[in-house]
Amino acid sequence: MTLLRVEDVHKSYGDEEVLKGVSFEMDRGDVDVLMGPSGSGKSTMLRCINRLTEIDSGDVWLDGTPVYGPDTDVNELRQDVGMVFQDFNLFAHLTALENVTLGLKRVLGVPEAEATDRAADHLAQVGLAAQTDSYPAELSGGQQQRVGIARALAMEPKLMLFDEPTSALDPELVGEVVEVMRDLAERGMTMLVVSHEMGFARSAADDIHFLDSGRIVESGPPEQLFQRPEHDRTNEFLTGLQSNGH
Amino acid sequence: MLQAGDWAFVVDNLDYLLTGAAVTVGLTLTSLLLGFLLGFPAGAIEVYGDGLAERFVSVGGVVLRGTPIVVIMLVLFFVVSISKSAFVTATVGLGLRSAAYQSQIFRGALQSVDEGQMEAARAVGMSRFEAIRHVVVPQALRRSMPGFQNEFTIVLKDTSIAFAIGLAELLTRGYDLFTQSGRSTAVLEVFVAISAIYFVLTFGTNRALDRLSDYYAIPSGENA
Ligand SMILES: Nc1ncnc2c1ncn2[C@@H]1O[C@H](COP(=O)(O)OP(=O)(O)OP(=O)(O)O)[C@@H](O)[C@H]1O
Ligand SMILES: [Mg+2]
Repeated sequence: MTLLRVEDVHKSYGDEEVLKGVSFEMDRGDVDVLMGPSGSGKSTMLRCINRLTEIDSGDVWLDGTPVYGPDTDVNELRQDVGMVFQDFNLFAHLTALENVTLGLKRVLGVPEAEATDRAADHLAQVGLAAQTDSYPAELSGGQQQRVGIARALAMEPKLMLFDEPTSALDPELVGEVVEVMRDLAERGMTMLVVSHEMGFARSAADDIHFLDSGRIVESGPPEQLFQRPEHDRTNEFLTGLQSNGH
Repeated sequence: MLQAGDWAFVVDNLDYLLTGAAVTVGLTLTSLLLGFLLGFPAGAIEVYGDGLAERFVSVGGVVLRGTPIVVIMLVLFFVVSISKSAFVTATVGLGLRSAAYQSQIFRGALQSVDEGQMEAARAVGMSRFEAIRHVVVPQALRRSMPGFQNEFTIVLKDTSIAFAIGLAELLTRGYDLFTQSGRSTAVLEVFVAISAIYFVLTFGTNRALDRLSDYYAIPSGENA
């Protein structure tokens, strides 16, 4: 069953067309990875799904709801779409627990005690049961990113977006975040992940979309894309990645 | 020169001076409060507002910051005559001027909060207003503490300008002490005494604000 449908999305910044008609679909429970060179429009594509950026033309549907419909409430829509950022963007003045409870309390109206319980569960799920009272500045990058994941998960979204969740991390911290994501994928979460982590893509992705200059040049399951890429651009890019030690 | 007899005179009249100091403290607090109540929203409007409100606030700020505080005070008291009370007039004058400066402190602090904080808040479904209120403002307030502390000291010292409209604050009382009692030899002693009182007040409040700032600092964050 289709959960996300992106149809012919165009987006320009000034004169620069960043997305030039992007289309793809995801079923419930799918894990798709978006790859492509820097500046190809990966972040822009993700942000157009929860409307942190607005598209110029095209359509996006989430679980049958037109994301850009005139009657769609952006704040309600965003409750269904979790987002994990490259730089974590944890609320700096709040503890790990408060980072997770804030949305529960202010957006979903969950009472304090219940929000605390739920947040503690989500933090435990990402392996941070002992860090609930730590502030972001007291946590390692890997721990911060896991709080970021717990914060998004707590809203019980239908879809999770990840924008290069491990690329700001020291290499030795990548594993713990990938582990959490893999676990999430196994439990059936629908995930759209911008990442160049080949290990994650190979083991968790249903489909990989290769984006180049605002277009998806090639899509397919990891075996196909990694072993027999049809396009020269994809091949070049993947070869580059591998020689960079990914 | 400093003389024992003149020191005795100061000591005898210490109550009189301390009453002035109490007026100074009161005026500092009312002015800062008015400055905060107007300056905080003004700073927010400069950052988040648009159109007329934003222009009004920024023009008002430029005018207030560009006018000497004595002139503001005299105009409010003698030209506009907003109140018969010198205390009220001084509060309005100092408060408006402080608002113009506090707005800049808060504007800078709001702008210094990383864009990503707002985005993360919006991404969980908070409205723009909720995101500002629960995520951006609490961080901006912490960052404005050093600027606010500075502003506190400036306003405390500038309360002495209420001298110009005859408010019986610390400086006015000191002045009256040696002019009206005919004790002109005590000029130096009186000024040393009131300077000491100003110093104790600024030093003491700065210490207290340091404590407050430490208390609210984010553990191992930038202000810690
Ligand atoms: N807010 C913006 N204003 C103007 N131009 C932008 C904005 N955001 C992105 N761009 C431009 O759009 C293009 C695509 O950017 P985007 O961030 O989507 O790329 P990306 O594939 O995520 O790249 P990276 O791998 O470096 O993160 C870039 O040329 C970028 O400079
Ligand atoms: Mg990007």
